[in-house]
Amino acid sequence: MKPGSFFCGSADHGVNRRGFLSAAALGTAGTFAADMTQLDLLRHSAWADDVKKKEKRVILLWLAGGASQFETWDPKPGRPTGGPFRAIQTVSSGVQISELMPKMAARMNTTAIIRSLNTKNGDHGGGSSLMETGRRKDPGIDYPDLGALCAKELGRIDSAVPDYVSLYSSTEGRRKGTSGFLGARYAPMFLSENMVPENVRRLETISDIDHQDRAALRDLLAKRFAQNRTSDVIGSHTNAYQRVRGLMASEKLFDIEQEPEAMRAKYGPTQFGQQCLIARRLVEAGVPFVKVARAWWDSHGQNFETHRELCADLDHSMSALLDDLKDRGLLEHTLVLTFGEFGPQINPSLGRDHFASAWSASLSGCGVKGGACYGKTDPDGHTVAEGEASAGDLFATILTSLGIDPHKEYTLGARPVPLSDFGSKPIKEVLA
Amino acid sequence: MTTSDPTKLKMTKEFGLPNIALCVARVPNSGRLIFGSSDFKLYEFDALAEKPQPVAFNGEGHQSYVTGVVLYAPNIAVSGSYDGKLIWWDLEKREPIRTVSAHELWIRRLAVSPDGKTIASVADDMQCKLWNAETGEMLRQFSDHKPMTPHDFPSMLYAVTFSPDGKFVATGDKVGHVAIWETNSGTKVATVEAPTLYTWDPRQRRHSIGGIRSLAFSPDSKLLAVGGTGQIGNIDHLEASARTEIFDWQAGQRVKEIVNDKFKGLVEHHVFDPSGRWIVSSGGDNGGFVSFHNVETGKTLHQDKAPMHVHQFALNEACDTLFAVGHHKIAIFEFKAEAAKPAEAAPAASTN
Repeated sequence: MKPGSFFCGSADHGVNRRGFLSAAALGTAGTFAADMTQLDLLRHSAWADDVKKKEKRVILLWLAGGASQFETWDPKPGRPTGGPFRAIQTVSSGVQISELMPKMAARMNTTAIIRSLNTKNGDHGGGSSLMETGRRKDPGIDYPDLGALCAKELGRIDSAVPDYVSLYSSTEGRRKGTSGFLGARYAPMFLSENMVPENVRRLETISDIDHQDRAALRDLLAKRFAQNRTSDVIGSHTNAYQRVRGLMASEKLFDIEQEPEAMRAKYGPTQFGQQCLIARRLVEAGVPFVKVARAWWDSHGQNFETHRELCADLDHSMSALLDDLKDRGLLEHTLVLTFGEFGPQINPSLGRDHFASAWSASLSGCGVKGGACYGKTDPDGHTVAEGEASAGDLFATILTSLGIDPHKEYTLGARPVPLSDFGSKPIKEVLA
Repeated sequence: MTTSDPTKLKMTKEFGLPNIALCVARVPNSGRLIFGSSDFKLYEFDALAEKPQPVAFNGEGHQSYVTGVVLYAPNIAVSGSYDGKLIWWDLEKREPIRTVSAHELWIRRLAVSPDGKTIASVADDMQCKLWNAETGEMLRQFSDHKPMTPHDFPSMLYAVTFSPDGKFVATGDKVGHVAIWETNSGTKVATVEAPTLYTWDPRQRRHSIGGIRSLAFSPDSKLLAVGGTGQIGNIDHLEASARTEIFDWQAGQRVKEIVNDKFKGLVEHHVFDPSGRWIVSSGGDNGGFVSFHNVETGKTLHQDKAPMHVHQFALNEACDTLFAVGHHKIAIFEFKAEAAKPAEAAPAASTN
């Protein structure tokens, strides 16, 4: 690979972020401008807005199985539903979170909490589908999930890196994600068994030159075939092949051994921590959407023991991620989210059962009013007391924080389909 | 002469509670139970009264679940909590006498030495601390338990007990490691391992469950029973059989493995009978159980369902009545020999 032509993933060849974004803005995959000052295009406001939007990245920490809001963002100490854990003061005045999240308590100036989600679906499958797409299933429409939406809105058609990467290593509740009607172009690169993509390496029996020659031949034949034909399928097919070299070159992005040992130590030894580090490497290289699933939070029998373990993992890994993004100047452009399919409610057996009527999500970084806390649940967390928000409202908020109009419409056949659900509204109180 | 007969086990009374009772101690020669609750309070409950009602202790108490309680004198109880504090209570006034910040993390269990002079506490800071029961002074602390599991998650130190002769203290943690200590010196004298009691799910749910939840020495202090649950498939639930492993701890050998053939969940508490012939265990999953097993053969002598998951129980002096506390209930079980006179006292078993 030509030096500087692409972030190979190594620390030595780390691409200046601004350089990368400049290159992405120029739309010249594989060739980067030195810095943003070379972009005359930015003098034009429409282009500038587009570039600004396309700088944005998203990391979704998907808390599969339903992390407890009581043990994370909405503690109820001393209440019958509250469990044994205390609330601790965060650096944001008046905002307390569970004592199981002490590192995040010190970073609440980067993070906003929504405590008033009422998503009404306490089933793992149905809840997951709802929180992936931001709306209930419609038999007539195959909706894309948040990752695919962001890939479409934030990615570049000529991007050399994947637009949507999804890591889900545990098997419980594993869901691949869906690009729905947006098509395969925005489907996730899905990693389940390994943290490095499989089958992206060039076969050893083929030299790099041969590989390039074959691609050139295929491109020539495809162009001839496409002459005088207009078909989305042909275009998609050709586009997919054009991305092959970039995807192959992205392998090192997933290799955390490329990071200095001190950096790996910051993220810690757990798989979730390591995957958060991969997520940072990916967004740094320009991947618009990375989903890191951390399963499995469902704990009907030993909720407090389970959350002692999993909250420690979340608190540490998320804090390391936010710190790292901030240190690299990436946090203002990267939105870090935590939510899952629902949050649970106490049962009589020191466990918690499925519950979707009053639960929490967090948003950190890009476009977010750090330290904000929106909505309120009743003293026992059974119902939303103030500021009820739906899955659609959360999606509208996410999209708005990224500079994307949530009411923008795709046209599916003759049917207009807004990016966030009909009637949804962004929660302005958590937006910067 | 023993008055107990495990084959006569039957539940005689049960009482509802609004919260979860997590630990219990019994005032000698009475039905007065002192129990710690999930509403952060300590209660007294006279189980043998005509219409028993829980009566909360007064004053500034704990700020989290009360998970350990012992009596070291007729009128003084000591409680421990997830708030890391030990509180000494006057039982007559039901008011606190002394509060000690004892641990940095959640106190899981307390035990009192047979002579009543020393209290042991274990907590998730992985420390065992011995306290002068009279003065509240910490005598010594020790730990042989790693703060992190082999899978890099916080570990927990769940269980502690004294040997009946008071010479030893045993501590047991989440990953199945047991350490035995000399009480007077704090010297570690042995370790045993019960790794089956810890389930790590590396693939499906990627966290753990289980751990050593109960420890008990035999009357001659030679055997140590270690309780918990077996390997679990779906760790959302306590779906493995309740499990007790008995060790000749000085030889470092497991001599018996008791896998409950009827009940699932955790063995939260167990006690050897004064003769050492049987061991009574209790615990559960969503439901609960009381089980008697022959120590020598491991065979079930008798067992029955409890109306709730049992967290701890107290035996009477005759060792023929068991007062169990747990999820929203208190239950009394009797297992009296036909001709026995309930008031006659056999040597008290350790109820740590």
